[in-house]
Amino acid sequence: MMVWPMVVAAVVSAVCAVVGTMLVVRRMSLLGDAISHGVLPGIVVAVLAGGRPGGMLSTVGAVAAAMLTVWAAEAIRRRARLSEDAAAGVVFTTFFAAGVVLISLYASRVDLDPGCVLHGILELAAADTVPLLGVAVPRAVVNGLVALAVVTVFLAATWPAQLFAAFDADAARVVGVPVGFATTGLLAMTAVATVASFEAVGAVLVVAMLVVPAATAELLFRSLGRVMAAAVAIAVAAAVAGYLAAWRWNTTAAGMIAIVLGLCYLVAVLAAADGGVIPRLAGKGWLAWRVACEDVLAAAWRREEAGGNAAATPAGLLFRLAGSWLRLRGKVEGPTDRLALTDAGRGEAETIVRSHRLWEAWLGRNVELPVDHLHPPAEWVEHYLGADVRRRIEEEVGPASSDPHGREIPTERG
Amino acid sequence: MTPQERLESLLAHNTLVVAGGVAAVGVAAAVVGCFGVLRRRALVGDAAAHATLPGIAAAFAITGRRELWVLLAGAAVSAIASLGAVTLIRRHSRTRDDAATAIVLGVSYGAGIAAISGLVARGVSGSAGLEAFLLGSTAALTLEDSLLVAVISVAVLAVVLAGLKEATLVAFDPAFAAAAGWPVGWIDAALTALTASMVVAAVPTAGAVLVTAMVVIPPAAARQWTDRLPPMLAVAGLVGFVSSLAGVVASAVVPKLATGPAVVLASSAAFLVSLGVRLLRTSRRPSGMSEP
Amino acid sequence: MTAIVELHDVTVAYGRRPVLWNVDLAIDEPCLYGIIGPNGAGKSTLVKAALGLVPLSGGSVRFFGRPLDDVRGRVGYVPQRESVDWDFPVSAIDVVLMGTFHRLSWFRRPGVRERDTAMACLDRVGLADVASRQIGGLSGGQQQRVFLARALAQEADVYFLDEPMAGVDAKSQERILRVLSELRDRGSLVVIVHHDLRTAASWFDRVALVDMRLVAAGATAEVLSRENLARTYSGHLDLLDEIGRAMQTGRRTR
Repeated sequence: MMVWPMVVAAVVSAVCAVVGTMLVVRRMSLLGDAISHGVLPGIVVAVLAGGRPGGMLSTVGAVAAAMLTVWAAEAIRRRARLSEDAAAGVVFTTFFAAGVVLISLYASRVDLDPGCVLHGILELAAADTVPLLGVAVPRAVVNGLVALAVVTVFLAATWPAQLFAAFDADAARVVGVPVGFATTGLLAMTAVATVASFEAVGAVLVVAMLVVPAATAELLFRSLGRVMAAAVAIAVAAAVAGYLAAWRWNTTAAGMIAIVLGLCYLVAVLAAADGGVIPRLAGKGWLAWRVACEDVLAAAWRREEAGGNAAATPAGLLFRLAGSWLRLRGKVEGPTDRLALTDAGRGEAETIVRSHRLWEAWLGRNVELPVDHLHPPAEWVEHYLGADVRRRIEEEVGPASSDPHGREIPTERG
Repeated sequence: MTPQERLESLLAHNTLVVAGGVAAVGVAAAVVGCFGVLRRRALVGDAAAHATLPGIAAAFAITGRRELWVLLAGAAVSAIASLGAVTLIRRHSRTRDDAATAIVLGVSYGAGIAAISGLVARGVSGSAGLEAFLLGSTAALTLEDSLLVAVISVAVLAVVLAGLKEATLVAFDPAFAAAAGWPVGWIDAALTALTASMVVAAVPTAGAVLVTAMVVIPPAAARQWTDRLPPMLAVAGLVGFVSSLAGVVASAVVPKLATGPAVVLASSAAFLVSLGVRLLRTSRRPSGMSEP
Repeated sequence: MTAIVELHDVTVAYGRRPVLWNVDLAIDEPCLYGIIGPNGAGKSTLVKAALGLVPLSGGSVRFFGRPLDDVRGRVGYVPQRESVDWDFPVSAIDVVLMGTFHRLSWFRRPGVRERDTAMACLDRVGLADVASRQIGGLSGGQQQRVFLARALAQEADVYFLDEPMAGVDAKSQERILRVLSELRDRGSLVVIVHHDLRTAASWFDRVALVDMRLVAAGATAEVLSRENLARTYSGHLDLLDEIGRAMQTGRRTR
């Protein structure tokens, strides 16, 4: 294991994560994909003209090719009656193919091999060093840090415009925010990031570095600043972990980094506190449980109201469990199929019945619905009404009134 | 060898069969691609295309065989899994559609690259040949391989043409189709599966990175010539046919030129000509009604 | 007598959040029936729910006393014009032909008979002369009439039209209204989603006022009373909205 390749991977991943965050929140992920392919001929021509793959000349070539990609896709979309994705598909595959053909034709003269384009060669990128303060630092690290600085300065300078454009590009244009400049600049920064990572991960895998950290962070945080910080942290951690995994299993680092990023995303999809699959399932389960408990309490209250000869406690496993739990909490007592309220449970039960009857009364006034259709919707809404909304409904239907079936609506308890 | 000798050797080696297989792939990919382009889902195939790589590598690693049908079976499984993953992400997370496609594309390509490099680094015999699936190569296609991809292509083409009525209806107006009682979800899934099949069948020719061009560029070119669907399918098929043949010949004649990029550049040229001709025709007829 | 269309306690939710609450509506005779309400009131959702295009989270829909799947062939539909890509490479007659597809089995192509039907329907909406034109080359009003012709080709007994008058020139409006009245006179029920109150009063025989719930339904003059309109347009949106949001999260409101 060597440290420098890992540093290279971490630095270029950070650059990509910063740019990628803006691409993802502005819904330009596929444009990022298109550009990362489209820059290839620019880099190849620059290298043919004597530049180095990550150097200044190839950056210029890549930015030019990126601009050409975007311009051509837009022109084709407008002139050729094609949707945006088809137009982009035509352009970026053509540009990428042109780059590969150039490499094949001038193979003897170019210091690029197809492997570099397709998956990068991290060790090679780390081997080319320049002396910096007496230490031999890989050129890729220096280039990556410069790219990071350029990207950061650009985003900091155009931050309000980027934010506004991400939120509502049309409104931003109307009030005079330079959306066009912010967008074009962002695309140029995508090209810069692609060039900086070209030797390390190639032109195809860049899309994973750009999109996955940001998409993962977006599942975890809501504010843009945090999303960006988290994206960079995820990208750097994945770069280190991916490099170590590649070293352990003797394979390409870029591919392993992409796999680690994919795993990070998977974990976020499953476990993100806000909207993750597992929390949502848990929420559903908790809701079903709460509804079952409340239904048991409400049934007991109605039986009390009717003098004990009304329907039994709702049947079914979930309700039996809910009944046992409520008994344990001291809210109900008596035989399982005819649970009676304790003083501790009565207040809660009354609130549910109150919600139920208030909603029936509201529906009766405001919706064209026959009286015998009122019960099912109220059976469902009763579990969601809070004290504030109950009070507002009561104001509307009139205090101390009865529900459409003529039954009394219990009053609010303190 | 001089280019002429290479051309001769090309003609000697079962060439007509190989060329026929590749041309069939070009036609079927282009025809089925028309629906993707018209449904504004041109790049759905791209995720599936990149995702063929881990499937190919896994099929090789598990079976130890490198017949094309084994590798393509693996590719089909992982391509369909990738489309399923995109659908699941769209349905169960806050991630937007474009990012979902990019994630699946990038990660599955990375997995494929890591798997193939890992196999090569371990010196597994025959694993180096897997790299041909990155950019495509018809040089190694055998007679049986060509027949295999040709049969897949003809089958896909037959299904698409048989279901033209249903496919057009769902592509143009899914809400109306659903209201009229057609199983829109299934027809939609079938169209996507047909596209994925053609992407898989075309990977040996064009390579995982560029194969999406074979389902996007010929339809885009065909759209320039006509305002009706049946002729568009025909022109797309023709462009697919010519450009895949041109690509095969070019990669055989030019040393070190992979087939994929050659096919793509040939169809791009067809697209540019098509667009140029249409712009000329409409500019000569300024009140042209084809412009909305 | 069985109603032509009957919605029984229909609730539609996107996610867990209801956008249409407990709609109970029966239409039992052929007429021009307007579904009226403000933007975002759930008018289109109501039609889509009736046609099974969005899942119901509660309630049921019946046509002629039977589930929709038994009588699909008797129900015609005109979606909103913006719902399709007008650059799609089909001509006007191709679109109208789609109205005949449900009578053909799988993989059967439309033949001369279907072509004649489609041509006759295009003629009824006054567009026979642009039959072979690509649909993107038609005006907004013409596009809407092509959609109407496609519904005519369905030869249905009930028609649902989603905002057929939106962005349509006066001449096309008049033509569309004439065709719809003819349909009614021949015994079809025509249900039209519409947002313009002024024209609604003169066009429709009966209307339903909708604002996330059914406010009132019946004869046009009765329903479009000042009181009902006030209830619809100043409505209880905020209350339903707040409860809807609570349902989305599975918690209680304040």
